[in-house]
Parts: sequence; structure tokens; C-alpha cells
Amino acid sequence: MRNSFVLHADERGYNKILSTGATASYVGGHPDAFITRFSSFNFGEYQDGRKGFGRIRVFGDEAFYHPGCSYSMHPHHNFIICAFVLEGRLTHINTLGGLEELGPGDYYAFSAGSGGLHEELNRSAEPMRAIYLWLLPDQLYLPPSYTRGHFDAAAGTNRITPLIGNDAGPVKISQDARVSRLVADGPGTFRYRPRSAGHGVYAFAIDGTLHCEGVTLKRRDSTGIWGAEEIVYETGRGDTDVLLVETIM
Amino acid sequence: MTDDTLKRWICLGCGFSYDEALGLPEHGLPPGTRWRDIADDWVCPDCGTPKARFEMIEIPYAEGQPRAA
Repeated sequence: MRNSFVLHADERGYNKILSTGATASYVGGHPDAFITRFSSFNFGEYQDGRKGFGRIRVFGDEAFYHPGCSYSMHPHHNFIICAFVLEGRLTHINTLGGLEELGPGDYYAFSAGSGGLHEELNRSAEPMRAIYLWLLPDQLYLPPSYTRGHFDAAAGTNRITPLIGNDAGPVKISQDARVSRLVADGPGTFRYRPRSAGHGVYAFAIDGTLHCEGVTLKRRDSTGIWGAEEIVYETGRGDTDVLLVETIM
Repeated sequence: MTDDTLKRWICLGCGFSYDEALGLPEHGLPPGTRWRDIADDWVCPDCGTPKARFEMIEIPYAEGQPRAA
């Protein structure tokens, strides 16, 4: 059976996390830096009755303000943590030996597996904006891994481009899930066929206008659809940029 | 009918997992300690996330894991 929900931008959870006071050990960049986080899903805090979508547990639209602003080095297990940089520069450091600077179009998947730490840092005066996505893995305590990818918007216009998946796309993860990007420069119709009726697709409009199932999504609105054989996305006038996350439900 | 099999729980803050079969002996929870018998004010030993923000999971272990078992 086909099911869906719509989450408007202003219905998402919101946190402003300061680099002072109670969160000073969590967020670096003392004293002026802070992180803003709009959460479609977040750490089991329910958004509109949902604690996640399929294997998604966190979907955060985040911005790091002021030099040194960071999530300080902290530990993880198991979660597959992905970041998609939209604006600015992100320095990602992890205990697999990675020290990476990522810019717009760059993304990574860090599978914490049997244990790893990471730091997410903006060293610049310009804000850094990124989408953070956390997925449960399909096995516990796998060897940790880190893979970086780049989405070329010029080459990827007016099509759906795979970014991350267990079968397709340049970055492999150990979960029955796929992440894709849909960028269009005008009206277009894009058909997405989920792997099975047991899969769902969460579509997040980074920018522009997206029509789907009789609903119009604007900047930062999103929709989750599951139990569908095919999902039709129609982009509006101007530039549209959408992140699509397919997951077993 | 109640399902009495031993369960696994995952911390939604950091991904740390608690397995009822293994317990956490180094934190005073012997193997076989049920999730329901752990104090409500217990927090994740790795990140401090409260017990209420753990989720029960049915994800298998990777080959060779858990190493403690």
C-alpha cells in the first residue's frame, strides 16, 4: 500500500548549539561560534510522530558559524554518517587517518562500525552549510570505513545521479539504501523506481520547487513515500536541487 | 505471548549498543541483564545519551563480532 508524509521546512526540529556554557565541550570555536540544526529526524526525538524513516535516524540541515566552529572530536559506533556540503568549507577529521577539506558538491560516508571518532570543523569566516544523514548499518561492528565522493552539478543536471549505495554509486555502504541527487535547471519529469514495495524514498528539497503526489515542496520541504512501484518527481521553474534517500523500510 | 528472547539496543546519540546476552560487566551489568532491569537514569557510557533514547534493534553482528563474546 502506498503511504506518504510531508514535512514542511518550518515543521522541523530546531537547535542552536552554542560553543559556550553546557555545550562548550561538544561545539568548538569558543566563544562566538555556534551551530544551527534543522532536523527532519534527530536522535529519536520524534518529528511529527516519526523517529526516522526506514534506516534513516538523523537528517540534519546544519550550518556552522564563525572560524573554529565544530563538533569536537567524539566517538561513534555502527552508524553510517554522511555529510553533503552545500556551502563553505568543511574540514572532516577521523580516526581512520582522514584529514579532509570538502567544499560544495563534496560528500562523504563515514561508517563508524566497530568504533571511530570524528570532528567536523569550519575553519573559515564564511558559514559552512551541510546536510548530515545517519543510517543504521545492516551489520553491527563492521570494520570502520571512510569514503569521499564529489557530485558534479554541471554534469549531473536534469537527471538523477547516484551518490551512495550498497550497489550503485561511487560510495559504497553496508545498508539496503541509496542516496541520489536530482538537480534540474527548469521544469522536468523524473521517475524513480524503488527497489521494491518494501522500500521508501525520502526526498528533501535543498532548493527550488518540487511537485510530487499532488504536493508542492519548496526550499527545505520534504516528503517520504513508501510502498510505491514508481514515484514521479516534477521540478518547477528555475533551479531545483533535491536529495533523495531510498531505504528499506 | 511475550517474546522473551534476549534483545539488543542501540544508542541513538552515538551508535553504542547494549546486548542483553553480553551485558556490560565493566559497567556493573552482568551478562543476561534485561534492558527493563537497567535503571531509568542510566546513560550511554560513551556519550551520555539517556536510556530512553536507545532503540531496540534486530541487526546481526558482522562476522567475527562481538569480540567480547
